[in-house]
Amino acid sequence: MSPPRLEHPFGQLIDRDTPVTFEFEGETVQGYKGDNVASALLSQSRWLISRSFKYHRPRGPLSLAGHDANTLIQTTTAANRLAEDLPAQEQNVLSGQNYWGSLKTDYYAILDRLGRFMPVGFYYRAFFKPRGVWRFWENIIRSAAGLGVANLEVEARYTDKQYLFCDVAVIGAGPAGLNAALTAAAGGAEVLLVDEQELLGGALTYHRFTLEDKSRAQTLEALSNAIANHDRIRVLSGATCNAWFSDHYLPVFQGDRLYKVRAKTCVLATGSSEQPVVFRNNDLPGIVLCSGLERLMMHHGVCPEGPAVILAGNDDAYLTALTAAEAGLSIAGVVDLRSEPDDLALPAALSERGITLYQNATVYEAHSDKSGLQLGAVTIHPIESKGKVGATPTHLECRLLAMSAGFMPAYQLACHGGAKLTYHDDKSEFTLTELPEGMHLAGSVNSTHDLKAVCADGRNAGRAALRALALEADNDETIHCERHVNHPWPIFKHPKGREFVDFDEDLQIKDIVNSARLGYRDIQLVKRYSTVGMGPSQGRHSALTTARLIADATERTVTETGVTTARPPVKPESLGVLAGRRFHPIRKTPMDQRHRALGAHMIPAGSWRRPAFYGELDHRTANIAAEAHAVRNGVGMIDVSTLGGIELRGPDAAEFMNRIYTYGFLKQPVGKTRYAALANEQGVIIDDGVAARLAEDHFYVTATTTGVDRVYSEMLRWNAQWRLDLDIAQVTSAFSAVNVAGPFSRDVLEQAGCNIELSSEAFPYLACREGTVAGIPARLMRVGFVGELGFELHVPSLMAQTLWDKLMVAGEPFNIKPFGVETQRLLRLEKGHIIIGQDTDGMSHPGEVGLAWAINRKKPFFVGRRSVDILMSQPLKRQLVGFTLSPSAPKPEEGHLVLRNGDIVGTVTSCEYSPTLGKVIGLAYVHPADAEPGSAVTIRTANAVCVQAPIATLPFYDPGNERQLL
Amino acid sequence: MTSNLVSPLRCQTSEDGDRGTSLWLHDLSLATRSGVRGVQAREWLKSESLPHELQPNTIETASNNRLVMALSTREFWLLDPDNLSQGTEPTFERREPGVWPLYNQNSHAWLVLSGEPRADMLAKLCGVDLRPKAFPLGSVAQTQMALVSTVIAHHLWRDEPVFSLFTDQSLADFAWQALQDAMAEFNTGR
Repeated sequence: MSPPRLEHPFGQLIDRDTPVTFEFEGETVQGYKGDNVASALLSQSRWLISRSFKYHRPRGPLSLAGHDANTLIQTTTAANRLAEDLPAQEQNVLSGQNYWGSLKTDYYAILDRLGRFMPVGFYYRAFFKPRGVWRFWENIIRSAAGLGVANLEVEARYTDKQYLFCDVAVIGAGPAGLNAALTAAAGGAEVLLVDEQELLGGALTYHRFTLEDKSRAQTLEALSNAIANHDRIRVLSGATCNAWFSDHYLPVFQGDRLYKVRAKTCVLATGSSEQPVVFRNNDLPGIVLCSGLERLMMHHGVCPEGPAVILAGNDDAYLTALTAAEAGLSIAGVVDLRSEPDDLALPAALSERGITLYQNATVYEAHSDKSGLQLGAVTIHPIESKGKVGATPTHLECRLLAMSAGFMPAYQLACHGGAKLTYHDDKSEFTLTELPEGMHLAGSVNSTHDLKAVCADGRNAGRAALRALALEADNDETIHCERHVNHPWPIFKHPKGREFVDFDEDLQIKDIVNSARLGYRDIQLVKRYSTVGMGPSQGRHSALTTARLIADATERTVTETGVTTARPPVKPESLGVLAGRRFHPIRKTPMDQRHRALGAHMIPAGSWRRPAFYGELDHRTANIAAEAHAVRNGVGMIDVSTLGGIELRGPDAAEFMNRIYTYGFLKQPVGKTRYAALANEQGVIIDDGVAARLAEDHFYVTATTTGVDRVYSEMLRWNAQWRLDLDIAQVTSAFSAVNVAGPFSRDVLEQAGCNIELSSEAFPYLACREGTVAGIPARLMRVGFVGELGFELHVPSLMAQTLWDKLMVAGEPFNIKPFGVETQRLLRLEKGHIIIGQDTDGMSHPGEVGLAWAINRKKPFFVGRRSVDILMSQPLKRQLVGFTLSPSAPKPEEGHLVLRNGDIVGTVTSCEYSPTLGKVIGLAYVHPADAEPGSAVTIRTANAVCVQAPIATLPFYDPGNERQLL
Repeated sequence: MTSNLVSPLRCQTSEDGDRGTSLWLHDLSLATRSGVRGVQAREWLKSESLPHELQPNTIETASNNRLVMALSTREFWLLDPDNLSQGTEPTFERREPGVWPLYNQNSHAWLVLSGEPRADMLAKLCGVDLRPKAFPLGSVAQTQMALVSTVIAHHLWRDEPVFSLFTDQSLADFAWQALQDAMAEFNTGR
């Protein structure tokens, strides 16, 4: 049975009517809805939750706010979840992590005794010689310092992102944040209020700010109600603002969603992190921060097992002791690091409750109980001077120690914006200055601690935000806060060590001090050498102590020493949430459904999906052969809607074409098409297509599927210089296209109904016409990419599916067969036609790839002209040629090397078995000396098998080009 | 002819939506639209007695519930949400120099999104602040939605404020799926 929970007003977060049972380390744990895993475990006095990173020391909760790495546990789906952030849920199966054996009996704990042999930096110094030895040690070290197990079988969760827009983003919903939000909203601003806890109110929900604690509950209720009822305030609770970026761009994580907040101004009311006292064994389970104990009692109604000792560096710890006493916790004593508290009424209040007060003293050492897994007692020593203790110890049996050495502003977000931290010796605390424009601080992050001052500071920040928005705001309130909350030196070195500065990385006082002694004086170097502040808590509890220790060791001020750079994220974040939804835009042609219905094997083509061929993948070769046979002997149809389309319209359209493409276009007749190759300024061929002149001032140009965006962009860029009078329009999506190819293609179009005379005399090869096919307006081009009589039909995209259907019906008497892009590649290869991007690369100039004929050397200019002239005036270094092989020879693949006397001289760019020709055919770059038909080249195929491939004359098929002229 | 026209989205209407209170998405890809571009485009609008003094990235209602949308000082889209296209757009006709027809009937799918949380929902897909305060009726944004280039116009249709979304027709199916997915949480529980 679990000990009963505390009665109201304790336990604000739990639903006592809804018990929850889950499993931790094979044992059943009971809690309530609203518990987190840590609070449920603590309700059953289970303090051991995790093992430390390096020494495998037993660890339990410290902050109870998810601000430290002491409670990293393993779930079935994820490693490194903080028990304080993980809701207790029915049926959850959880375990500790980073141990060998069990959480209670971790064999790796032997490392704790070997600690003296593993000082900071021992990795760097111990495992680099002899060369390669690190690979041996790495496995062992990673195993010992493991941080859970990633479950690779887990299915990705649904994660997404959303933009949020507001006038004022208030980060932190403590008393300062609530007041800032209300003030800004009252002044007319749209406010977004963000807090990492589910319960709004921050410290108001758990901490008594005064001895009497009279008005806290009413203040909280009033503020919460006002927030809830304000229609200009949107609240994101249970949400973490993980960074501040320029112009108040704030990533806020809430569950599996990342909000990308765009605020006009922001108020940081992020509060401050309570600091631990540094003494021997200050990491034992059972040692918590005072605020942690308060959260445990007030939020979850858990009264831990006593007796307890309170270690105070400020008055707040006295108030914690009083709250705990009222909850029924036995207090063995309050140990004050100071000679007396600021509020002299506090000792009397303790005395009234029979609590012993030890002043000007410290816990010098904590001792574990018999199990070695939890606090059992502490030794108290009087303080003689800074960090030095006297020799008269007092031994106190206790199961719990709550401590507060002071507070460090939650500076991370402000520092992301470039704010500076300045240390004030009089108050022993850091303050933030030099904030970026539009950022305002409020509350304890702004070094105000008294509740009235905190609230007033919040309102002032709200007013500042209103002024930044050019809205009216009242005059600021005057704020007085003289409270000292930080002890100047809560650090007590012990001869036996184990005084932990950084719990995440198991760093002790000597580790930090030795870093400075070894010459790493700069705080940034100390961080990198010692790894202080590099753990999940990002220095929340170690930065202040480290700064003090390094300042002391290097005889500088704490301000001069500073803290390490705070970078996003503030808290660990999931890569899945960062990724968000997986947007992979896929473009589909209007005939996409038809292709799938016909059993097409779809492949990517840029962002498009195209049929590779129709039929099963297992029968790829046979399917392609059948499609090729249909085109060569009957008729086939391919969807070429993915081809790029660009319209050039205007009086200067021909002049533009003549400048941008390599060929001549000024004299291109209307009704004719021309091959259009595009070079860049380096003389490299970057795209090609067909240019149809539809009118004197109107060209319709195709471009490659993946190249059209670049072509269009280049066209716009060049005409921004040339200022020619034309309109350039990308019409790829406006027009879809099919290519009907084969000896019966003309018959199919006539069968479908075409108002254009299709005879070879009226509509010769390379002509273009406008008319209707099957009642659909179409642009027709007679082109011969596959080397047969063929017509390319470009139609409005909304009508393309209908056209496809009608052509399929019209083609039935001729056994029309749709063919895919792989078949098309084979057919064009038989014709020796190159594909830009496949048979060319970033160095290919026209002379290398047989496109010299497509260069008009008579015209004065085209893009890349000068480079083309230079390149083509020099001897060729390689040449694209055709080769053949017997079907029984090892078939080269694209990318296989062409060798000459053992040297690489080129690569295979295309290669396929041609059923029409009965042999393997291909294109490859070869040495110019081997480029003549009759020569042979050596191709290194798979498994380093070399074949001798004879060079062939192109085209392989129909060398007289008679078929496309039919 | 109308029978030849096939919308990439098959004229779907989202099933979950409840007009007004919840989100509702409708495919208007077969509704009539055209456009003009060029240095004389504004003059052409004037000659056609259409609104012609629009600023770029604004939309205005013309007669018969038609809309004129300005994407720049020389590019205008003419939208007729209540009339289906007769299949005559895009035409291959050419107008006078300086006024070039646009093929937006075929190049872009047209989706209409209505419902109160429409700006919140689109904030899951688009980085532009589309809340009425920042993006009032008559506003147009040329932006991205789920990584897809999209024109978003805020206007009245059948007396209701709606967003018209114009995306590349080849990406219409992807955009529809992305919108449906984003809408799900807003229409849950109805």
